[in-house]
Amino acid sequence: MAEYTKHLYLSMLPEALIASQLSPEEFGAYYAVGSEKRSRGQAIFFEMDPDFRTEDLPIEEGLRRCVPHDDGTPKRSVYISVYRALERISLDAIHKLYLVTQDGRTLGVDGADACPEDTGGLHLYQEIAPVNPLVVSTLGPLDFYDLIVKHPTTLLKLPAVCFAELRLGELASNPEYGSVGDLPYANIDHLRQCLVDLRTKIIHTKMVDRISAPTFPYRLLKTGLFVGNERHLRCFSLPPAEILRSKHYRWWRSADM
Amino acid sequence: MDIWVVFSFIAGLISVGVAVVTFRWVVKQDPGNERARRVAKWIEDGAKSYLKKLYTALAMLAVAMSIILAIVFGIQRTPGYGLGIAVTFIFGALCSSVAGYMGMTVAVKGNVRTSVAAEKGITPAFNVSFKAGSVMGLAMVGLALLGMNLIFLVTKQAEMVLGFSFGASMLALLAKAGGGIYTKTADIAADLVGKVEVGIPEDDPRNPAVVADNVGDNVGDVAGMGADIFDSYVASTVAAMLLGTALPNLSGDQHTLYTIFPLILCMLGSFASLIGLQLVKVKEGDKPGPALNRGTVLTTIIFAIMVTALVLIAGIDTAALWATLAGLITGTVIGFTSDFFTGDDRPPVVETAKVSGSGSAVTIITGFSYGLISIVPSVVGIVIATLIAYYVADASTVINGVYGVGIAAVGMLAVSGMIVSSDAYGPIVDNARGIAEMAGMSEAVVEVTDVLDAAGNTAKAITKGFAISAAALTVLALFSAYASEIYQAMVEFGGAAQPMVISLLNPMVIAGVFLGAVTPPLFSALTMLSVTHNAFDMIEEIRKQFREHPGILLGTEEPDYVTCVSLAAENALTALILPAFLAVVLPLIVGFVMGAEALGAFLGGAIFTGIIFALLMANAGGLWDNAKKYVESGHFGGKGSEAHKASVVGDTVGDPFKDTAGPSLNTLITVMSLVSSLFAPIIAAFHIF
Repeated sequence: MAEYTKHLYLSMLPEALIASQLSPEEFGAYYAVGSEKRSRGQAIFFEMDPDFRTEDLPIEEGLRRCVPHDDGTPKRSVYISVYRALERISLDAIHKLYLVTQDGRTLGVDGADACPEDTGGLHLYQEIAPVNPLVVSTLGPLDFYDLIVKHPTTLLKLPAVCFAELRLGELASNPEYGSVGDLPYANIDHLRQCLVDLRTKIIHTKMVDRISAPTFPYRLLKTGLFVGNERHLRCFSLPPAEILRSKHYRWWRSADM
Repeated sequence: MDIWVVFSFIAGLISVGVAVVTFRWVVKQDPGNERARRVAKWIEDGAKSYLKKLYTALAMLAVAMSIILAIVFGIQRTPGYGLGIAVTFIFGALCSSVAGYMGMTVAVKGNVRTSVAAEKGITPAFNVSFKAGSVMGLAMVGLALLGMNLIFLVTKQAEMVLGFSFGASMLALLAKAGGGIYTKTADIAADLVGKVEVGIPEDDPRNPAVVADNVGDNVGDVAGMGADIFDSYVASTVAAMLLGTALPNLSGDQHTLYTIFPLILCMLGSFASLIGLQLVKVKEGDKPGPALNRGTVLTTIIFAIMVTALVLIAGIDTAALWATLAGLITGTVIGFTSDFFTGDDRPPVVETAKVSGSGSAVTIITGFSYGLISIVPSVVGIVIATLIAYYVADASTVINGVYGVGIAAVGMLAVSGMIVSSDAYGPIVDNARGIAEMAGMSEAVVEVTDVLDAAGNTAKAITKGFAISAAALTVLALFSAYASEIYQAMVEFGGAAQPMVISLLNPMVIAGVFLGAVTPPLFSALTMLSVTHNAFDMIEEIRKQFREHPGILLGTEEPDYVTCVSLAAENALTALILPAFLAVVLPLIVGFVMGAEALGAFLGGAIFTGIIFALLMANAGGLWDNAKKYVESGHFGGKGSEAHKASVVGDTVGDPFKDTAGPSLNTLITVMSLVSSLFAPIIAAFHIF
């Protein structure tokens, strides 16, 4: 019987903790392209430290069940948790972020040493887990995380969050007349109005869409993807476009960068 | 006078010779590593297997048709004449097939060699692809010249060249319509399942239809377009020759000179193309588009100088020169004006892309409207060329107006060697890009092939405008030739020696106009429905492969490319039967039942709607295609936006417009005109009403 390394993956689309004998690239392809069960689509997941344990989740049992099939092929997935997984893990156990395209090309992204500073202008955030609103804000990513996880000013508070900052292009500085360019957002007039409201009303955030599909073209990632809980925040920034094109061409093509 | 025909024959030999030498040069280039060669072999095998099936079907049709021609004309005239028409018919189909086969063979060898050459930069890659494309252009011109001149040298009868032209037209109809159905079936199916449903990029080797898609580029755009222009080239020449034989004021050598003047023009055009091809150069960092356009313009100028010199030296009536130049200049201008409506940063394309944000319905309405507008400048160009050619020639005491129109058509098509070379370059670089992707070549290679491909798309758009306009003038000349044939038949049968009058007050004429007018729309519908039916079958096949073999998408299993290739080929050929039957049989039914005037009116109706539909579909399709590309390049929301989704719908609608129905209409009206001209003497004698 072949020996396979056991991996622990924290999926964000949908939120789940999964044990698997597939490598991150194999798991990404399997997860996005699917099998006979026809589950498929864009995927975002973190590779976790396989030695991470918590009393809140039956990780040990999941890993125990993660054994090869009778024909010797690796076990592709054992679901350990399918909800509230993010809030129960330690962010220190996260190794790497993987962005998977719809057709199963996987890109590994290392965590940044320091989170990016706010460069000014308006911001657009797609919350990925545990809830999925699309939000515009005057706050930079660090302040936005602080507002919704650590020091909320309303009754709404999340125990942990994964969100992405998306590009606004010219709309970040000129919401009324800025060119849309290659921003593919639906209902662009509503988005403009929400951004204008941030400038004309005394508010820091405004919801653009209550339930927005948490998938988006990766080319829209601006400062990157953020995952945080009440203890701290971790940031994952995409490499520059030229690096992606020269070193990760297949992913770059599939991601329509 | 025979010396001119001999020279023209030798010009054909030279063109074919240069094509063979160029072919061998292309084949000697580096075919790349094992993976690249394997991918190229899939495409080559698929293309050859389709051509084999097409030519087998054509051979059976040609034999049956030639027997009918031999019997009918053997009875109506003499057995020798019948046999001659039958033999020239087969010879025409054979020459066109050989040109198409040569062009496509070098295209499927040039594609992989272009992608390998792209590793060294744009200059070597362009050289390989353009030289490969020039094989099609030179082979087409050379074989047409060889065939026409040989027949005229042997028989001394322009009518025999008509048989040659009819054979070439039948092949063109099957090759163009079949290739168009094939290429769009594969393209649409590959895109709808691959890009839309599964999300894999263009030319991804995991797509089971990717090889069929690349094969389609060759059979549709190389073999199909080559056969189409071959057909127009020969048809325009033979129409002008027939009109030359009917010139009333000439006799002896002068009569022969004006009969063979179209052959002399073709000879000069082939020399001009040979020189022009040498002038197309691209340096590192240059874009190939301007080089291709420069080649076309320089070839046109060289040809104009040659014709002027010939007319002045040989003492040919200058009216023939003006008619030639009218056609030549109009053809070039019309070719470039189609670029205005389909160019990727031109106002019609930008506006269509812009309104796409409001949904696919508005995209369709806007693109269709611009397609309709695009008809106007081309038709005005055709009208101007026709009127200038007619009146300049009619003012002459040597030639007459209709001969002038025929000469204008030849003038337009004389530089086809250059035009077809630029056109065939398009699918070669398109394939090169696909092979670079499928064989996992470096990003630099893909970038070079991308630059080459962009120029290829523009060249294709210009060629389509040129081909349609040329076909328009050709069929106008054929129309006159038909009237002339009817007139001569009436004289032979002892009837009233008056030119045929087609009056709209005659109910048979009105009926003929209407019947002719509905034929191009019917033909378009049949070919486009074939695309949707065939694409449906292929979509099911691709889905089945993805469903039953999950390893294909995971990259652990190779798709079954062969099944998709076979499916596309078999369905395309089956779909051809009814449209081809209509093209040949409808004019005969109208002629034998309703008479010669009604058939003339039928042709008139078919020519008018045929040209309008062809221009509309070619330009609207190209416009939708480029509107999508404009959005994809980062405008109005870019990829994934609502504008992009709507523009993809527009592009999908436009695909069978521009690559299946639109370009096939040229051939349809040429075939119907040739059938009518060929059978004119019999129809004049035997008709019910």
